[in-house]
Amino acid sequence: MSVINKSKDNKPEPVAYSEAALRNNASVVEYCRTSMAALSGSTAGVLGLTGLYGFAFYVFAVVILWIMFMVRAGPNWHKYYVSRQSLLTNGFFGALFTYVLFWTFIYGMVHVY
Amino acid sequence: MASFHKIIVIVGFISLFHSAFSAAQHRSYLRITSQEFTSLPLDIMVQAVISLFAVMWGVLNVAGNLREIQAAAELNATKWDTQLNFPSFYIFNHRGRALAQNYVRSAGKSELENSE
Repeated sequence: MSVINKSKDNKPEPVAYSEAALRNNASVVEYCRTSMAALSGSTAGVLGLTGLYGFAFYVFAVVILWIMFMVRAGPNWHKYYVSRQSLLTNGFFGALFTYVLFWTFIYGMVHVY
Repeated sequence: MASFHKIIVIVGFISLFHSAFSAAQHRSYLRITSQEFTSLPLDIMVQAVISLFAVMWGVLNVAGNLREIQAAAELNATKWDTQLNFPSFYIFNHRGRALAQNYVRSAGKSELENSE
């Protein structure tokens, strides 16, 4: 009987997520993201990137961080993250401001003065 | 393991600072010899990017452990001993102590009343 029911409505079974674990993972990801923005901004400043090259470097750093998340979680990333795409795009512009701040600061420190 | 990643973070930071100083010195060298700045030397760029990756990887591991988000994940890990443990049903005071060698019989209810 249950087999027939399953074949009839092929919706995926709803999964209950633990609120505390989700929040814990989100805070870890946020911490890494902020650090990544500050560090890659500093690196862009050291390299002396200007204009669109700097923004391209930011996108590059975001993708690298995403790959690092995936490498760390391994093949069973479903256990830790709800979706991979949101892990890539969440807080993109929020961290961009941190990036630009450090980029301009370190560029001024290294290349202007 | 966490201390290993902390060392990675510290070494990466030092390397990043070193590349920053190298870049600043390169700029001042170009200024003194009045050359035009085109781009940094390749070794400074490589050092900066590699130390960025190192610090990112270290921070990723230092930041803390991820927890499994499925609600049943932590309940599934509990053992049968934990499930069967009922503290309310513990018995500490029962007739079994009369079997001990150093058991002293109490005289009964009358002694309790006269002890005052």
